[in-house]
Amino acid sequence: MTEVKLAEESFLTDDFLRQLIDVGEVDILVGVPTHNNAKTIGSVVETIQAGILKYFPRERAAIINADGGSRDGTPELIVSAAIGDAGRSSKVYALRTLHSISTQYATTPARGTALRTILATAELLRAKACAVISPESTQITADWLTTVLRPTYAEQFDLVLPTYSRHKFDGLLLTNLLYPMTRALYGLRIREPYALDFAFSGRLGSQFLAQNAWHDETAQAGSETQFTLTAITGGYRICQSYLGSKEHVERRSADLVPAMRQTVGPLFSSLEPHFSLWTSRTGSQPVPTTGPEQEFTREPLRVNRKRLREMFLIGVAELESVFQSILSPSTLAELQEISRLEEGLFRYSAELWVKTVYEFAAAYHKTVISRDHIIQALAPLFRGRAATFLVENRNGSADDVEHNIETLCLEFERMKPYLLEKWNGRE
Amino acid sequence: MPFKQDVLWYKRAIIYQAHVRTFYDSNGDGIGDFHGLDQKLDYLAELGINTIWLMPFFPSPLRDDGYDIADYYSVHSSYGTLEDFGKFLGSAHERQIRVIIEMVLNHTSDQHPWFQQARSSPQNRYRDWYVWSDTDTGYPEAGINFVDTELSNWAWDPVSKSYYWHRFFSHQPDLNYDNPAVREEMWNVMKFWLQLGVDGFRLDAVPFLVEREGTNCENLPETHAILKELRRKLDEQFPGKMLLAEANQWPADLRPYFADGDEFHMAFHFPLMPRMFMGVKLEDRKPITEILQQTPAIPPSCQWCLFLRNHDELTLEMVTNIERDYMNDTYAHDKTMRLNRGIRRRLAPLLDNDRRRIELMNGMLMSLPGTPIVYYGDEIGMGDNINLGDRNGVRTPMQWSGGWNGGFSATDPEKLYAPLIQDPVYGYPAVNVFSQRRTEHSLLNWMGRLIAVRKTTGVFGSGSIEFLYPANHRILAYVRQLGDETILVVNNLSNAAQAVELDLRRYKGNILIEMFGKNIFPRVGEVPYLLTLGPYHFYWFRLRRI
Repeated sequence: MTEVKLAEESFLTDDFLRQLIDVGEVDILVGVPTHNNAKTIGSVVETIQAGILKYFPRERAAIINADGGSRDGTPELIVSAAIGDAGRSSKVYALRTLHSISTQYATTPARGTALRTILATAELLRAKACAVISPESTQITADWLTTVLRPTYAEQFDLVLPTYSRHKFDGLLLTNLLYPMTRALYGLRIREPYALDFAFSGRLGSQFLAQNAWHDETAQAGSETQFTLTAITGGYRICQSYLGSKEHVERRSADLVPAMRQTVGPLFSSLEPHFSLWTSRTGSQPVPTTGPEQEFTREPLRVNRKRLREMFLIGVAELESVFQSILSPSTLAELQEISRLEEGLFRYSAELWVKTVYEFAAAYHKTVISRDHIIQALAPLFRGRAATFLVENRNGSADDVEHNIETLCLEFERMKPYLLEKWNGRE
Repeated sequence: MPFKQDVLWYKRAIIYQAHVRTFYDSNGDGIGDFHGLDQKLDYLAELGINTIWLMPFFPSPLRDDGYDIADYYSVHSSYGTLEDFGKFLGSAHERQIRVIIEMVLNHTSDQHPWFQQARSSPQNRYRDWYVWSDTDTGYPEAGINFVDTELSNWAWDPVSKSYYWHRFFSHQPDLNYDNPAVREEMWNVMKFWLQLGVDGFRLDAVPFLVEREGTNCENLPETHAILKELRRKLDEQFPGKMLLAEANQWPADLRPYFADGDEFHMAFHFPLMPRMFMGVKLEDRKPITEILQQTPAIPPSCQWCLFLRNHDELTLEMVTNIERDYMNDTYAHDKTMRLNRGIRRRLAPLLDNDRRRIELMNGMLMSLPGTPIVYYGDEIGMGDNINLGDRNGVRTPMQWSGGWNGGFSATDPEKLYAPLIQDPVYGYPAVNVFSQRRTEHSLLNWMGRLIAVRKTTGVFGSGSIEFLYPANHRILAYVRQLGDETILVVNNLSNAAQAVELDLRRYKGNILIEMFGKNIFPRVGEVPYLLTLGPYHFYWFRLRRI
């Protein structure tokens, strides 16, 4: 009966399984989740191939594409990176066969399913090290392959997360919430808890594959963040590798809430099962990091600060009843107070921001309203904090910005008892 | 009993490479001899081989294991006499076993009377039999073969106070093939042995016969012309005899040695051999299929000679630098195992004494296009001794039994020409003919069965080959065909069980008969033919439409 059930529940197609049989056991696996990435995927996969041939010429390697229903020929571009002996005369020399295979897991993209497919493939092929590379990582170089994979393949790290050179205003959610809060909670200074380019060991991949609630849509949405959190909370060996410049990807304002669902949601969710862990940790420690110190790029990046503040003001005004359920009266009053300030005087302080976030986390725990609504409600407040961050760092050098981020992180660490107080509070 | 009329006998040959010195000592002097070899012919006949290739047995100072010949018309006294050789040859022929002997055309020993005469005076009639120079700067593009021992292809002769040319060891001066007298004399040498009854020659180091400035002095048109002339004489005066080329070259450079079927009958396929080892280690058919894809077609009367190991190092001349590094790291992690550009080890130790891999490699040897050569001792899984210098570690005495001196010689162990392998894994008490004969499933008996199955069909020796390219790259599959006979070979190069789907639609309706057990497998239909193979397992299927 169990076997029948398993067969019914399998999310891997028979055709894909057949391809996996042909690939067989591998040492190195590179997973590429895609959906209509034909514009960029050609150069990305070509670079992946070059990286494998340069740094892992003797290893059994494969590239696997988990595609969410592309209609622009993306899978075909990935499959063409294969190197074999059958009729296809590859321009590049390779000691051994390189498989590059593709499966379409659905007709619409779902990041969680894509990651699940890659994890299942890594487990079935018994990959010693697996990298996931974003199809949008056009800045990828062949060196990336060794940078992200070598710590896992040769140095027994379970998770290799990236660090990048970013513009000082790129990744505001990361610098103002994800990084400082993850660091404060779990005591590890991980710069990119939500990574799209990373590598993991077979044992971590299998652990996550087995435990994640793959049928829960909320869990699916934040699978990358959950993956990092699984490694952190499971005591796996984590390191960071510097991957160079991160190109800014233009996002619409409507993308913020989905992004928060993918990142903040899993972070808040992790607090309940790991209560004893985060409450027992104070301060933070660096994680091993390879490559140069992170530097900010000088590429101009325009962010509409005025618009951010406006959306903050609208949110505070329109969501008052929601905030009354989530925030303490004093915090809400402070927010309302700063919302009345003129543009030039507007400032959403680090302390108020940390209090806000911690109260949201506690409210999420108590499910005072729908958890998804809590995440949505945080979005306008984050915009307010982002607007302040932009003002505070407008003329700041790389060191100044880094100093301000560090200050915020320390504030998150300092105020961690406040989270516990709210967590245990009756309200 | 005379041989059947068969001018293409070499295509059906199963060649056994032996050295008189290493095989069996009949007179108790610690050195193998022709009389001893004669006594062991029944063993070889029982194994199923039908051709013996003998390494040099001529008078020699033995500074290169006999490849430094001091007299082409006689037998080294340690091995017996010309009469002993003749008797051995007759005995072999009685058992329908042909004999190929080594012929070192390129050079002689510096102890050969020709060279002694040549160095004695610039006016000597033999002076021009060798290549002399006042400087050591000629032919700078020519490579050095023995890079571990030689710094130059020129050596200073203090007697005649000039330099002489040598492509191998400095004690092996090259003959001057621009001299008609040399060409004539070397044909006389070959004629001498042909008249005694030998069936063919393995011509050693043939690419190097002629030197020309501005070239690498290999594979020159003048060399091919000389070889063709030898072949013409052979065909005219000794039809049915065979020439085998030792030319360690890339396939495209080897192809001219077959010419239009009027130069060599056979040539070693040097580039294939290391790639078979590479394929098994990588668990990937790519190195094997790629080199065979690059192998040009040869005239119908010609044949490739395939081998796994021989008396030399496992040569890595014909591989890329990346491949050479890989081979060295995986098959010769101990640097003392390396020699020149190769690995001086035997088959069984190279394959970690893994019976399954040894069988797989022999299975490929016997089923890929060509005539297979089995190196003496590999049929029982003999080991090597890397503590012996040069290539002597793979030239130790044959292990006949677990008794005194491994049954090789009755002399004191100290008098043996080389020590026997004595380690616990490969030593003669553990690995020997006597005990393997008594064990039904021994490697020796398995080899006998393999050879017997190969000999049930002419397809392997003469048939065409077509590779199948299943998506599973660990599976090397090919179809051999001759006339209306078709054989499917499927090899699993991996150490794990594999499933593979083969596109056999063009053979739809055939049933597969496994050639060893003669069991019937399902009929071929429209859908991909699914097979599962155990680790390093292989199948030979005869396709029958019944």
